[in-house]
Amino acid sequence: MTRLTISGLTKNFGDVAAVDNLNLEIADGELISLLGPSGCGKTTTLRSIAGFVEPDAGRILFDGVDITGLAPERRNIGMVFQNYALFPHMTVDQNLRFGLEMRRVREREMASRIAEVLEIVQLTGLEGRYPRQLSGGQQQRVALARCLVTEPRVLLLDEPLTNLDAKLREEMRFFIRSLQKRIGITTVYVTHDQAEAMVISDRIVVMFKGRISQAGDPTEIYAHPVSREVADFIGLCNFIDGRVGAVTGDERYTVQTPIGDVSCRSGIPLAAGDEATIVVRPESIRLGRRPSADPGVNSVPGKVRARFYLGNFCGYRVACADGTIIQVQEEPWHGGGVDDDVWCIFASDLAWIIHH
Amino acid sequence: MDHPSLTSEKRPHWLAFGRELVWPRANLTLLLVLPTLLFLACFLVAPYVNMLVMSFRNPSTSNVFAPGYTVGNYTKALTDPYYLTVLGQTMLFGIVTTIVCLVLGYPVAYHLARTSSRWKGFLYVGILSPLLVGVVVRCYGWIILLANNGLINDALKKLGLIAGGLKLMYNPFGVGVGLVHVFLPFMILPLVSAIQSIDPTLEEAAQSLGATRTRIMRRIVIPLSLPGVQAGSILVFVLTISAYVIPILLGAFKIKIMPTLVIQLLIDAFLWPFGAALAFILAASGAAVVFLFLRLTGRLMKGVV
Repeated sequence: MTRLTISGLTKNFGDVAAVDNLNLEIADGELISLLGPSGCGKTTTLRSIAGFVEPDAGRILFDGVDITGLAPERRNIGMVFQNYALFPHMTVDQNLRFGLEMRRVREREMASRIAEVLEIVQLTGLEGRYPRQLSGGQQQRVALARCLVTEPRVLLLDEPLTNLDAKLREEMRFFIRSLQKRIGITTVYVTHDQAEAMVISDRIVVMFKGRISQAGDPTEIYAHPVSREVADFIGLCNFIDGRVGAVTGDERYTVQTPIGDVSCRSGIPLAAGDEATIVVRPESIRLGRRPSADPGVNSVPGKVRARFYLGNFCGYRVACADGTIIQVQEEPWHGGGVDDDVWCIFASDLAWIIHH
Repeated sequence: MDHPSLTSEKRPHWLAFGRELVWPRANLTLLLVLPTLLFLACFLVAPYVNMLVMSFRNPSTSNVFAPGYTVGNYTKALTDPYYLTVLGQTMLFGIVTTIVCLVLGYPVAYHLARTSSRWKGFLYVGILSPLLVGVVVRCYGWIILLANNGLINDALKKLGLIAGGLKLMYNPFGVGVGLVHVFLPFMILPLVSAIQSIDPTLEEAAQSLGATRTRIMRRIVIPLSLPGVQAGSILVFVLTISAYVIPILLGAFKIKIMPTLVIQLLIDAFLWPFGAALAFILAASGAAVVFLFLRLTGRLMKGVV
């Protein structure tokens, strides 16, 4: 289908750079999500691909062909809006027809294509309904169907699940993902919900202040964040600041920190004396009565300050000798209680050094 | 002698009556709209009823009306080709003025509804400006422009573009110009609010589906703004068919329309019953056109509201 290339994309709104020299290559049939807080430029990027935003600099290419100057209606894209933007004065059938009529598809082909798409999104039988007669989830699927029926080169989704309730939202994630895989359409998905991005994407592009902070598959983004803001945006984190004490092996270092020496890994080369911040996810830490005997595993002593039960896990706040609070997520049946003296035990592979 | 149980039954009834003198909360609303209702009853409903009764009176040469009732006034008006022509012209004039206002007003309304320019306020003032000047002053302004030796004709003659004078006044054109000028705001304002209520992402969605500007207007914006088209058109139409001052000043009785005719009959000819009948025929015809228009556009508006 279509390979999408974004090269040097820049867009300023007044003095503010909404998108700042963004480069991204999206493979044929890949689903990437642009993830970031509001104002990070993800929507501006999407709207530039759609053609609604005219970039100040940079190019957008479909299969290597520059389409930057092309009007939105000539790009053959499909876009799903946050509020679905279904035409309220048209039935489901007329909504789906709209794009086909614009492409002058013949009547017989139109009917068969609409029937086919409605079956894919499981809305067969609702052709005659007006959008207001449909539930939120159904409207969402009509919006998807309206794009897909025109067989666009690229599918663009702008926070499509925000207006759905939590349960339906999770269902729709899987629905959109399996639909996208089945059709094999190149898709750009904008969201500020990290869980949504993790579930749905081949690759996540984390954006801050108009720039790409990190691009990679969900595992990589979660386990090996490149910066503090990326780590902080995706899931809960413990940050421990320190200084590299020794290089102990390939990608392996010992970092001197206020809570003691911590052995950890890094994706970037470091030298002794460099400043370093270690990220440890709360669920990577185990609580124990005694330190671990394994030399490759870190053990940090502390005292449980608070414990809270959340059903699928138990959260602890453990204070170390210097006052640093370490957050830990343990199994819910774990027996530790407040004021217990414990050891925070975590493997050196799960302690990751990020750029300072 | 009364049966004791009867008197005891009567007492609660009397007490209940007394309690009603305390105003319940729901009646307060009624109290607040009462002045308006009274005003309308005195100055709208009563005169209308009076006119309606008048339209069925027998005509008289020496009095306002002769004793007895008749439908003769109506049959006379509805069988005489002269009155029917004037009625037809009035309706046609109303329809044409409405269409011109719609065509001129729609782009302005669309721009006003979608712009985020800081000159928006000035645009509103500009649109409302015809209403800020009194009708007589405004008409004399038009006379200065449109008269045979007015500014436009003079300028055209001096430029050598025309030899004689263009007839711009004392004809339907001049009256139309005057009417469109004042009634444009009545078209534009309802259109603005109707277009503003259309979600702009609908236009983007249509565009992403391959629709050009023209098609977006034709398939999305115009159909969804039909409630505004209805409101504006009805206002302009009703105002046009009942306009009196502008047709007189810019048309000088040379174009025959119902309002001037009715006033002539009532004031000059002193034919009250017949004038009243004509007035009601005008009102009924206007209502019929509005009704037809609503039916027609209502069919197009399926699903809009």
